[in-house]
Amino acid sequence: MTDNHSFLEVKDLKKYFLPRKTIPGSNTTPVRAVDGISFTLKEGETLGLVGESGCGKSTAARTLLRLESPTSGSVHFKGKNLASLSEIELRNLRKEMQMIFQDPFSSINPRRKIGDVLREPFAIHGFKENVSEVVIGLLEQVGLSSDYVNRYSHEMSGGQLQRVGIARAIALNPTLVVADEPVSALDVSIQAQIINLMMDLREKLEIAFLFISHDMSIVEYFCDRVAVMYLGKIVEIASIEEIYKRPGHPYTEALINAVPGMESGQKKQKLKVRGDIPDPSNPPQGCSFHTRCPLKEKQCEEMEPTLKEIAPDHYVACFLKEK
Amino acid sequence: MALVGESGCGKTVSALSILRLLPEPPAKITSGEIIFAGRDLLSLNAKQMREIRGKKIAMIFQDPMTSLNPVLTVGEQLIETLLRHKSLNKKEVLKISAQLLGKVELPSPEDKLKQYPHQLSGGMRQRVMIAMALACEPKILIADEPTTALDVLIQAQILELLENLKKETGMSMLLITHDLGVVTEIAERVMVMYAGEGVETGATKDLLDSPHHPYTKGLISSRPHLGSTREKGQRLTEISGSVPTPHQRPTGCAFHPRCDWSTEQCKTKKPLLQNTNQNRQFSCHLQPESI
Repeated sequence: MTDNHSFLEVKDLKKYFLPRKTIPGSNTTPVRAVDGISFTLKEGETLGLVGESGCGKSTAARTLLRLESPTSGSVHFKGKNLASLSEIELRNLRKEMQMIFQDPFSSINPRRKIGDVLREPFAIHGFKENVSEVVIGLLEQVGLSSDYVNRYSHEMSGGQLQRVGIARAIALNPTLVVADEPVSALDVSIQAQIINLMMDLREKLEIAFLFISHDMSIVEYFCDRVAVMYLGKIVEIASIEEIYKRPGHPYTEALINAVPGMESGQKKQKLKVRGDIPDPSNPPQGCSFHTRCPLKEKQCEEMEPTLKEIAPDHYVACFLKEK
Repeated sequence: MALVGESGCGKTVSALSILRLLPEPPAKITSGEIIFAGRDLLSLNAKQMREIRGKKIAMIFQDPMTSLNPVLTVGEQLIETLLRHKSLNKKEVLKISAQLLGKVELPSPEDKLKQYPHQLSGGMRQRVMIAMALACEPKILIADEPTTALDVLIQAQILELLENLKKETGMSMLLITHDLGVVTEIAERVMVMYAGEGVETGATKDLLDSPHHPYTKGLISSRPHLGSTREKGQRLTEISGSVPTPHQRPTGCAFHPRCDWSTEQCKTKKPLLQNTNQNRQFSCHLQPESI
């Protein structure tokens, strides 16, 4: 690792999508899916990225892995700027950064045997020796027997397939895994199995995770720190302990409150949020959350708050917290 | 009342059977009775059934986009329901439709009537579905995973709306869900289903505080909950294996291959539903104290 730089450092990353030019004079305002996010990730650390659908969390993940090219901003991984790398250099680095997807049925080729699916990363990166044994070892690591090598994806359940997805992600010993809603397509009893598996692997292989989710209860369970995203921006970032005890942003508080409670009888004073997430091609002026915020003040409509440190390593973008 | 269980456990099929909405054949209600207001719904003919469906028992579905007609405006679809069951003229119908949309807290209901489903967000569409279901003031509302396709904040809004409407209209509600958290928010009683059968029934608080069936217990503890006294690196309690397919249901107790407490008896003999005090029912060979 090179000095000064963290393991992963994302600076002011932006990704805009331009609408396709269909009719002359039609709407050409870009969709600001990711609008200037910055964060760092230490080696072996797990950062949760939470927000509602359409807030840009998946785009953020794909852009930082350079599956999408960023509009602007930089991503430094182990001190290397991903934007400056050539195709070959980038491919070499890809070994170390892997991804687990939400829907295992659509992310695993239905026409290939599981063994072939797992052999592919080795083929791409030019490993030829003992691949078959390694593949069986991988399957065992994720709790599947070696018989699965000859199966196809339709012969397996969602939970089993997600295990294959995880096996594929850890095949080349990555140091960073981006998991995009890895359990939200699964049944409750299977979710626990997959979360436990990822926790075991994280410990054993010392992987840093970027864990994307909309479920605040799973994030609390799995992550060390959380970044909350709203309309392409990070509105709050802090450690798990801090954010659940003292949520700084009204949006974070609403997200935590919205988790249907298991503790019967104990109804808290809930912060109520009205309406839907606005159109990201036309975000509101000022603080992007003001249209739904129950606590908004006049200045929220005019000026945009920036991230400020309200406690050690606890950053919030909200005017109310600046007082 | 809520029905809880994992995918493939038969929750939706139960609900569809109540409304006799399953295509027959291939589906066939092989036995049992569905008594509604003193009449067995299974003995009714198609016409009588249509009078019940929508008017007395209404249903809302999981995915509001696929259950609304994309080529008709919201207004046209609402009016269809109203005209089908009530004798009203066009002017009255429009007024009632707008009122209905107001009732489900949609902003500017008059404009919404002229819009198509694709112009609305997921939460708004689900509100439209609820408005349609409420059009004839049903006695029972069956809600099949009404919030599963929605974002957490919108889910909270819809649940609150359903709860208020229930209080206001006094209708009964059958909520189908896989999320025990949603159950605690809204249901008074719960039935937990596994592999096509109800394995435990009881009052919500009672059932969650002291589950009698190992499956219920597993469902409760496999879910991380907020603010739990969390220790770093502590694992979630998991239920091993996965739900059996309907073709290969195990013998004896359907849950025994996944159960931590299963005995020889569980493999061969099917446990019967037994009653305990306080309207609790469960089907397990073991004593509740031993799990």
